[in-house]
Amino acid sequence: MTLPLYYNWRNLFVRKLTTLLTVAVIAVVVAALIVLLSFGSGMKRSVGGSGHPANLLVLNAGATAESTSLIWPEDARLLVQTPGAAVGPDGQPLVSLEIVVQTDVRRLRDGSSANVAVRGVDDAALAVHDQVRIHGRIFRQGAREAMVGRAAQSLYRGLNIGDRIALGRSRSHEYEIVGVFEAAGSAFESEIWAPRTMIADSYQRRFDSSAVIRLLDPGRIDEAAAYVNGPAVRLKAASEPEYYSQLSDQSQQVVYLVLGLVIIMAAGAVFAVANTMYAAVDGRRREIAMLRTLGFSRVAIVAAFLIEAAMIATMACGLGIAASLPFSGMRRDFLSPVTHSVTGFEIVITPGICLAALVAAILVGIVGAAAPAARAARTPIVRALRRG
Amino acid sequence: MDLLQTLLLRNLGRNPRRSALTVAAVAMPVVILVLSFTIVAQLNRFLDDSAAQLRLAVAHKTSIINPLPYGHKARIAALDPSKRDIIAVVGIAWIGGVLANDREPLTTMGVDADEFPIAFTDHLLTQAERDAWQRDRRALIVGRSTAAKMGWKVGDRVTIRASVPPYSEFSFNVISTAPQAIDPVANWCHLSYIFEERARSGLPESSVDLVSFLFVKCAGRAALERYRVEIDRLFENTPDETQTQDEKAFLNQFISQQFDLPTNLTLLALITIAVAVLAAANTMNMSFRDRIGETATLRALGFSARFGALLSLTESVLLCGIGGALGVLAPLLAFGYTPIGDVQIPLIVRLEIGPGVCAAALAMALAIGVIAGAWPALQGGRLRVIDALRSLE
Repeated sequence: MTLPLYYNWRNLFVRKLTTLLTVAVIAVVVAALIVLLSFGSGMKRSVGGSGHPANLLVLNAGATAESTSLIWPEDARLLVQTPGAAVGPDGQPLVSLEIVVQTDVRRLRDGSSANVAVRGVDDAALAVHDQVRIHGRIFRQGAREAMVGRAAQSLYRGLNIGDRIALGRSRSHEYEIVGVFEAAGSAFESEIWAPRTMIADSYQRRFDSSAVIRLLDPGRIDEAAAYVNGPAVRLKAASEPEYYSQLSDQSQQVVYLVLGLVIIMAAGAVFAVANTMYAAVDGRRREIAMLRTLGFSRVAIVAAFLIEAAMIATMACGLGIAASLPFSGMRRDFLSPVTHSVTGFEIVITPGICLAALVAAILVGIVGAAAPAARAARTPIVRALRRG
Repeated sequence: MDLLQTLLLRNLGRNPRRSALTVAAVAMPVVILVLSFTIVAQLNRFLDDSAAQLRLAVAHKTSIINPLPYGHKARIAALDPSKRDIIAVVGIAWIGGVLANDREPLTTMGVDADEFPIAFTDHLLTQAERDAWQRDRRALIVGRSTAAKMGWKVGDRVTIRASVPPYSEFSFNVISTAPQAIDPVANWCHLSYIFEERARSGLPESSVDLVSFLFVKCAGRAALERYRVEIDRLFENTPDETQTQDEKAFLNQFISQQFDLPTNLTLLALITIAVAVLAAANTMNMSFRDRIGETATLRALGFSARFGALLSLTESVLLCGIGGALGVLAPLLAFGYTPIGDVQIPLIVRLEIGPGVCAAALAMALAIGVIAGAWPALQGGRLRVIDALRSLE
């Protein structure tokens, strides 16, 4: 026999202030957790989610990032012979040579300066990075035209279609922005893309930074990588997702740090819940004894208190989600310690994150209520009834 | 012992479980306060100490990672031939670096060997270290945190592979672990060694004599302000325009762009205080309610409303104070005497909990106690004695 939920619900309102304060404690923890998790996952998605599993990213053997990599033209030529490379409509292997440089732009939010990656690409880039969707039009090869990623456009000044942006080593070459592109939320969306030859000229670069090779079969990536890493080429190859997940790992440390602090906060909330539930148990000793006399089992009593705590936690979770909603859709960027360029990301509060927060809140409630509920079950019936 | 004290202790002991839980519920948030305050304080101290060094950082205007021609150094120095205002100009070439079979990125920078000890006086090199630095072109001064992490000590020979062209393996001799340096992470080597290596590896000539930044040590604040503007003016309309900032502003852009940890941690700390206040207020409210009859009896016996209020307030402050003390002590012990102390904290590397932070956290805990105790204290003052006594039966 179990107690009706209505009993638990009514009990929450017997001590309104106490219930309210407990709800508030958990709600604050939930809100902090949700904002942090969506922060971390937004960041992770923007960097870690980049890249196609059939793409092989080639860097100089000593380089740790595209921005500090350097590939000589004679080495780049060897890459067309990579085994398993897909072939483009022009009959050539799909190898996209890319130059990654930077330019300083101003944030829309506060005018502070941000180092944005500028990627010089050929037409092959669009075949290799086939997640790219362009609004407006693509730049013409041979023209000083550029297109900007959606995240970059929304975060920085002067990056709308029709705007002109000064690029180049001395920022003396003006590029007209002719398009804005999406790339499935990946790191590319934080970049500016322009024709490779024009970028090489503007930045006085005689070498490329990286090459991306599209393979026919992602399963044969090891074979292709072995060719690139081997004595014939002596460059360094990794699957594109692998490269980006490595980059995102290095940026996640801060998230782990704050997550540690939020967990301590949650532990504090457990104690607060325990206190509340103990008070509830102490205040209802006679009632509990009565219920036992009526035939409710110890298990039913324990369940009743746990359910009550779960109800508090669920209410708190609802409040916490509501409090964190204003953060959803917020766009921020961060400077990668590896590439020294910025990546934009969006804080999105997803149902998954809310579910995680609900689980955390109920856990806090249940753990906090466990000891008090056990105590309630042990209430000596006769004495409690007599004393009241 | 007077009555207030007696009652106070009795009350605390009356529901020991509740007292203990309250202490714990306050201690946890205080732990967060201590940790986040420490990180923020350490970052701020790092920036303020950097500001006190009176150095300007000159970077390429196009982007912080665009290199500058080394020739800029002589032209900046020529702005003040007397060397009265500009004490030294140091070229810095960032080569990052990784160890063989290790992915952990290092921060290694080549600097002008002659000017480095003059411009970076915060390293407080001993005469012996200075001599070793000058004598050995493969000398390496290692940041103390990096040294601790890698287990390097003076006299070690280390091989670091540069993360930038020509990606050569540099072989260094550790001559100091710079225990006093403001920057606990960066390693410093001779710029000439990097230039030689670049030339040897066949990089085009135009890529050899390049530096990432130039640091300019100034004689005083006035000189700093003056040359901050003048250096940029000097290179205006040249292919390599500069952006000159004082060292604090320069370093702060790296810190603030990595999630603005100082702001966000302060925010988290404030939220945490709110949680502690709510939790403590809850307890104090419960305790007060349990003792309404008693409070009314005291009032009926002639004790003033202030006495009851004082009782509530002191109890709250005492509980939160104990929670605060535990909350301060726990991280202090954990980071001072256990392996947790070796945990790498992003940006600051090693957590060093200072007395200022402890005092601030403790003060916060007491403030939490005052706020949490205020409501029951107020309620006690407004208590209608007759009603309370009547409901006693």
